[in-house]
Amino acid sequence: MKIKAALLSATAFLGLTALSAPAMAQSEVKIGLIQPLSGPWARSGEMSKRGAEMAVDDINAAGGIKACGGAKVKLVVVDGGDSPEKMKNAAQRLVSQDSDVVGGIGANVSSFTLAVTEVTERAGVPWMTLSFSPVVTDRGFKHVFQTSMTGDKQAEATVPTVLKMAEAAGAKPKTFGIVMDNTASPVAFTKDMRVPGAMDKYGLKLVVDETFTPPLADAGPVMQRVRAARPDFIFLLPTVVSDIKLSLEKATEIGLTRGRMQMIESGGPPGSPDLLKIAGKEQLEGLMFVTANWPTKNTLDLANRFTKLTGEPWMPQDSISNYGHVMIFKEAMEQAGACTKEKVSETLHKIDLKDGAAKLFPGGRVRFDEKGRRIDADIVVVQWRDGVPLLVYPAEVAALPAKWAKP
Amino acid sequence: MTRSAIFRRNLLILLTGLVIWLALGLFVSNPYYKLLLTTVPIWAVLAISWNVFSGYSGLVSFGHAAFFGLGAFIVGVSFKFFDLTPWLGIPLATILGALAGAAIGYPTFRLRGTYFALAMLAYPLAMIAIFEWLGFQELSMPMKRDNPAAYAQFSDYRAYLMMSLSLLAIAAFVSLRIERSRFGLSLLAIKQNELAAEAAGIDTFRWKLKAIILSAALASTAGALYSIVVLVITPASVFGMVISAQAMILTLFGGAGTVWGPLIGSAILVPLSETLNAELGHILPGIQGLVYGTAIMAVILIAPEGLYWRVVDHLQRRKLAPMANQITNEIVHTQSAKIQRIATSATDKPILSVKNISKSYGGLRAVRDVSFDIPEGGIIGIIGPNGAGKTTLFNLLNGIVRPDAGNVTFDGQDMTGLAPNRVCRRGMGRTFQVVRAFPRMSILENVAVGAFVAYTTDEEAWEAARESLDNVGLASVADVPAGRLTSRELRLMELARALAGRPKLILLDEPLAGLGAGETQEMIEIVRRLPTLGVTVVMIEHTMHAMVNMVDSFIVLDHGALLTSGLPQVVTRDARVIEAYLGRKWAVANAQN
Repeated sequence: MKIKAALLSATAFLGLTALSAPAMAQSEVKIGLIQPLSGPWARSGEMSKRGAEMAVDDINAAGGIKACGGAKVKLVVVDGGDSPEKMKNAAQRLVSQDSDVVGGIGANVSSFTLAVTEVTERAGVPWMTLSFSPVVTDRGFKHVFQTSMTGDKQAEATVPTVLKMAEAAGAKPKTFGIVMDNTASPVAFTKDMRVPGAMDKYGLKLVVDETFTPPLADAGPVMQRVRAARPDFIFLLPTVVSDIKLSLEKATEIGLTRGRMQMIESGGPPGSPDLLKIAGKEQLEGLMFVTANWPTKNTLDLANRFTKLTGEPWMPQDSISNYGHVMIFKEAMEQAGACTKEKVSETLHKIDLKDGAAKLFPGGRVRFDEKGRRIDADIVVVQWRDGVPLLVYPAEVAALPAKWAKP
Repeated sequence: MTRSAIFRRNLLILLTGLVIWLALGLFVSNPYYKLLLTTVPIWAVLAISWNVFSGYSGLVSFGHAAFFGLGAFIVGVSFKFFDLTPWLGIPLATILGALAGAAIGYPTFRLRGTYFALAMLAYPLAMIAIFEWLGFQELSMPMKRDNPAAYAQFSDYRAYLMMSLSLLAIAAFVSLRIERSRFGLSLLAIKQNELAAEAAGIDTFRWKLKAIILSAALASTAGALYSIVVLVITPASVFGMVISAQAMILTLFGGAGTVWGPLIGSAILVPLSETLNAELGHILPGIQGLVYGTAIMAVILIAPEGLYWRVVDHLQRRKLAPMANQITNEIVHTQSAKIQRIATSATDKPILSVKNISKSYGGLRAVRDVSFDIPEGGIIGIIGPNGAGKTTLFNLLNGIVRPDAGNVTFDGQDMTGLAPNRVCRRGMGRTFQVVRAFPRMSILENVAVGAFVAYTTDEEAWEAARESLDNVGLASVADVPAGRLTSRELRLMELARALAGRPKLILLDEPLAGLGAGETQEMIEIVRRLPTLGVTVVMIEHTMHAMVNMVDSFIVLDHGALLTSGLPQVVTRDARVIEAYLGRKWAVANAQN
């Protein structure tokens, strides 16, 4: 009963403020955040939330949104839970109860983002996401913006990127191998690498190709075959953290880690503090992973402030991307000279940032194509160095030069 | 109240509820609450589908997500890749869901109890793997900007609300129709004791298959509707363990085995969980799950069978307490008035003929080469020491066990190797050593389960059940739940159930077990009346002195073989019989006398 009464009075209060709002200068601008704050993806959601909160604090400390009379930014945080259904409910709640949001960010896992944007698109709320799935921006939606390179493009870009980076580090790999589980993302990631002759143009040959069904009971046979084939590098693509650990342990046992054979992973789990905890920094040393965003040497200050503020060991992809999303919204409002969702969405379609928020994303430029995909999106390579994952490619923004393993 | 009046009353309650829900949906303007009002009926349909199968039949399904997810993906795939409108996709999901039910049920019914439950768990897990392998990691319904209504896409949730409420109305109506019909009662009988149900003439396999087909069709339709409301599906979100668990939790919380259970469970738990997400999720992420779980545990502790049954029990206790004494007095009164001693009416014509029947379990020859005839209209007692093979012989006669050799001719037809329910349909009834009552059902309903075998229309069956109750003197307590009966009344009720199927012959397995002296006399008198109703009686009983007064002749088994048969006076003096029961010393002593 108490809750109900509180709800009623809250609704009444919101109704009143909404009515009286046009009379006053806008003092607050709402940006929604829907993330999985509970359930198996809670960690990623939490990291995203912290990045966004930090951006909001930075904006407000610097005087808010000047185009709207110095209005302060307010982050409306909504827990989207652990399923598309809950995500959709959360989005519906956001656009119903805070119908004045000028934009929103979330929800990392692509099926969640798909569900959220089904609602926000219909409500005309511009939505920004780091999700990789090309489907997110393939539905003909007008208000969805994707800042990461899409998954299919990432897969295409990986081999040339790795080769360029190897070259910069003074290596010239000619053979490679694949060790992966049979889940969707590594299957999609490696599909083109297996097409006969597809790697010829890079002068690369696939010499060992091992696929298993997770969880891995014994990594021994797999890693032994890798050792026998002696490729110049391998893509190590298990998606389960415990399988990554097992593979690394076996590799260590037979002398493949610690800079003896270059291993490259992909996606989010390889950069998580959890992996450091269970695998230890010695085994991780030199291991690389390809991802859609990571702090560069230009944003190290930001990353340092983040770690100090949150106590996290480093600033991961989720945090920096969502920090960036809030900053892009700010720029859009300033450029639009208005703080409404219509104006913000309109502006985002023609925005072209080369500085400020643009430096927070690979490619260093923020502009979107007609689908809502960031045109200059690229991938980066991060390497574990003394227990910290640091950006090593592209070289011009690398925190330090890449170190290619020497057999 | 008559049965059809009860049905009409329930229908009225149901419709009122649905109309109130619809009015709520039309009245509320906040789209978030409209979405919530729309999803509750979808979950209610899934819960009803689970209840139709597991709630009634007692076969626990941990895998209803298999059907739900299938429905969701049928609509998703047919819409996205073949541009098939969900208006056709939903009925397609219903049909394919039903087929999936048959395909899964057919092989899985070979398993029982926990093994069945675990096997059901495997199907949705396998589905996740299959759909991921097919490349459907996530499926999003295309947005149709031109003519969205043709593709079941609406900007206002009220359209979805009407769809989900219509589906719920259909599901609840079906469930209500089943609940106390031949279908529902047969499933409840299976739930209580599958063997007893078989012996009562219920083709358990067929009913179970029907139930799972219907249930799967409902679950699949619910999944189909879910996919067009949520618009994004992943294998984990529709085949996940959470979905199967949701179906179970909503039903068990509300009360299994009644249509109200799933409705109550869904109407309370779905909004509760969502409100917790909304109010607590962003403050202390994850706490909502804890509060939700605690709430469920608390309710289950207070109402282990679900809220509905808790309330029903509470109301009935208040209503029945003053009636209890009156009922008992009435029974005693009617019986003493009705039952008189009747002369036996055995004829020479054999109704049951057993020839050289044998059954071995490994090295143990439980029944060896036994032959005998049972005269029509007689009361025959089968006696013998423990382990003589009496119950095995019964099991051979009514088809629970197949004989290794020999044959059974009943009423001129060869019955060897027929399934128990077929044997029962041909007119051979049976009771069990341990009474198998269906405690939640009224006595009349308990008895009606037995009557369905013999009558094609339900009305005739109910009439026969009443008549049968009258014959054993339980007419006045017809509407009392069986859980409230004494052991004597239960014995009588079981007898009435076996008689309701109009058997020509009835197998009674220790009908006097657990009865007091006075009660035994009563039962004896009732059994003695059976031949006048056209029923031949074959019974196993240990209480020898009671048997002597009851039967026309004895068949004596020892170590699986026929020792002797004949009139009670002769058999009880036979030295071999005495030896078999009491040992050689006694036999010799008796012979000297």
